[in-house]
Amino acid sequence: MNATRLFLGDRLGADRTGTDDPAPRRKRRPGKSPWRSPLAITGIVIIGVFLIAAVFASVISPEDPLAQKWPKYQSPSGEHWFGTDQLGRDILSRVIHGTRISLPLALLLVVLAMVIGTVLGAVAGYFGGWIDMVVMRCADLVLAFPAIILAMAVVAALGPNLTNAVLAVVIVSWPTYARVVRGLVLTLRQSDFVQADRLLGASGWRVLAVDLRPNLAGPVAVLAALDLGNAVLLLSGLSFLGLGAQPPAAEWGAMVNAGSANFDAWWVAVFPGAAILLSVLAFNFLGDTLRDALDPRTARAIRK
Amino acid sequence: MQGNHPIGDSRRAKAVRRAAAPLAVTVAAALMLAACGGAKKQSGDAQGDGGTLVVDTSFSLKTADPGRTFEPTGILVTRPVYDTLLTFAGGDVTKPVPLLAASYEAAPDAKTFTFPLRPEAKFSDGTPVTAKDVVFSFNRVKNLKGNPAFLLDGVTASAKDEHTVVLTTEAADPALPFRIATPALGVVNSKTVAAHGGTDAPGADQGDKAEQFLNSDSQGSGPYRITKYDVSSEVILTRNDNYWGAKPKYAKVVVRNVPANTQQLNVLSGESQISLDMSPDQAVKVKGQAQVLQQPTPTTAFLFSNDNPATSPTTSNKDFQEAVRYGLDYKSLLDVAGAGSAQAAGIVPSFFTGALDPAKAVQRDVPRAKAALARAGLNNPSVDLYYASDVTINGINFGDLGARVQANLKEVGITINLKPAPTQTALDSYRNGSEAMGLWWWQADYPDASDYLAFTPGELVALRAGWKADANAEVSGLAQRAKVATSDAERVQLYKQLQEAMNKTGPFMPLLQPAQVIAANNTVKNLHYNPIWYIDVDKLG
Repeated sequence: MNATRLFLGDRLGADRTGTDDPAPRRKRRPGKSPWRSPLAITGIVIIGVFLIAAVFASVISPEDPLAQKWPKYQSPSGEHWFGTDQLGRDILSRVIHGTRISLPLALLLVVLAMVIGTVLGAVAGYFGGWIDMVVMRCADLVLAFPAIILAMAVVAALGPNLTNAVLAVVIVSWPTYARVVRGLVLTLRQSDFVQADRLLGASGWRVLAVDLRPNLAGPVAVLAALDLGNAVLLLSGLSFLGLGAQPPAAEWGAMVNAGSANFDAWWVAVFPGAAILLSVLAFNFLGDTLRDALDPRTARAIRK
Repeated sequence: MQGNHPIGDSRRAKAVRRAAAPLAVTVAAALMLAACGGAKKQSGDAQGDGGTLVVDTSFSLKTADPGRTFEPTGILVTRPVYDTLLTFAGGDVTKPVPLLAASYEAAPDAKTFTFPLRPEAKFSDGTPVTAKDVVFSFNRVKNLKGNPAFLLDGVTASAKDEHTVVLTTEAADPALPFRIATPALGVVNSKTVAAHGGTDAPGADQGDKAEQFLNSDSQGSGPYRITKYDVSSEVILTRNDNYWGAKPKYAKVVVRNVPANTQQLNVLSGESQISLDMSPDQAVKVKGQAQVLQQPTPTTAFLFSNDNPATSPTTSNKDFQEAVRYGLDYKSLLDVAGAGSAQAAGIVPSFFTGALDPAKAVQRDVPRAKAALARAGLNNPSVDLYYASDVTINGINFGDLGARVQANLKEVGITINLKPAPTQTALDSYRNGSEAMGLWWWQADYPDASDYLAFTPGELVALRAGWKADANAEVSGLAQRAKVATSDAERVQLYKQLQEAMNKTGPFMPLLQPAQVIAANNTVKNLHYNPIWYIDVDKLG
């Protein structure tokens, strides 16, 4: 039975890719590391600043983010750089403390989605058959909905709070990883080194864990890095809709929502909005750079 | 982690992401088109005689059938179309005045009310208004069993002669004249409504088919007729040329469904004349360029600390309740609600008969709150506060109000955990009486203190706060007496005593009455605020 599957896999693989060469060699132009590009540096600096802000939030922020001590809707001034919000809270302090919610949760949920998606995708791609069928149809089902709509439905069903919002974003993000990983596994599994290992008697799980895992790590890392921005956006989107962080938590999306009630006090929405913008942008820069570094083939195609 | 991989497949993820962009553009374009379409509507100055008045409000509208309507926008548009027996003049809701009735007379036992009708009154089709029409309209409201049906609980309407209506009640009902002035009890033309499937017989809730007809063609005796009714976009009122009283100035009134943010721009640009839903924070920018009325609404926002030990041993503790009552900083809550809001001294809104004197309102007293908390013997109590997170009442977000309550009570040593939920979910737990603490509001059904007996032990709202019938003999006794007292002076006295007693020991903490903001173009004259139907469109000049 094993032999049949291998044989079948061989033929399918050959048909699809037309090549059996598993190792396109990496070539880098000398002296031009993608990490030195201005975009990469911008991304690293922004993320660095945000990470420092998150770690030292209580030291850096001038006030308690929950203290309602000042008059409401004060425009930005020397005393309150970002102004005060509808309850007279210092917006600068709230934006700084917002990093403690958005960044760790975005990282957490991307890691969760990555692990779940990769495992399911690899299993589906390697073993095929009904497992493949079930996993990929589930993935199709999720991808058939716009991400935010499905996430809203999930949160509405589970009850609005941050934990459920993270869960919802994980549920809508894993299929991307599953599809990519499945595609990679399909082409890799008939490469010579896999065949050789199988002939030596390795089990399917061993092949997945030992032979394929290192080959999947690069693309999955790139995908995850590019997905971080999305995760921040989805999470604050849910909070904006009142389905994520709940008051009085200092969460960027929820703060933007508070600002939308009164456009005249533009600073209430603009500063947390800018924080979302910057973090998403920075994560995308990092993701692009990571792709350039790990995947020269696509990078070269883009440079042409 | 050495890379042996073709990565072409990752583009799929991008394709998905890109596909979303055209969709967003299409949606945005559609929205812009809709917005522009709306903007082209008649801007309302001198066209024909009297011109057009455009009123912007964000719709809460289900029907234009007066027997079924009890929503704010429904009341706004049916009020000038269906005359009632009694009404309120201007913004004064303490005294019902005659409208279709020439006068009214209440028997000393407050069980029989006689209304002689104005002989000159006639419907929009020219037929005179008779006692038969009034009886038909009232019986229809009762038998439709819709939202306004409770207004006539225990009331029997009969025609003494062609122009005299007599209402009799089962028990003494001194508040009846206040309920009679509610627009839902507007009088319809019984002949035409019956001809179009309307019925006032028992079983009308199934048998009455006149709603469609009344939505398209109104059958009232008021100064306007409904000539266009679109439940989601606009209602157009046209002057009734057969009106028996003083003719209104504007030939046409367009009531449009517009979100609050846009209303601000529309009034400033002259696109509309009146806006009904701005928040006090938005009104600040309009002042000086338009006339702005900012007054408390007949809605009471309140907090309760559940009196049922089975629900929460903490919140049912009387000392804990006192700590909450004196720990709240009522002035700082008004700051959240905005200019024009007022502290609710008692549960009855300030401008109703029987309201508590503002000087008797509870004031913050932190030492007293801390002492009460110490007496309660609770060590750092931590309590869940439930509220509806997706509603905004007159610009007040209940999440903000809850966050302010939380900050207030933290200062006296009580930890509040905010438990927001969508309205439907939150209402369930509220109605079950399972909320330890709740932040809710009560909108007056009709402008009389008797509407607030629901807050006394064993009644509707009290049970939601776990306040059982035998919980407080003093309050219950006062409520019983207030309910049947017939002389005005006695009623006022009893309702005041009742509220003072409730402010001492009850589980309710009345917080505030939100501010209603009505902004109008300077061309509009005679603008005043009515707590029930917002504005009198027929009185504007």
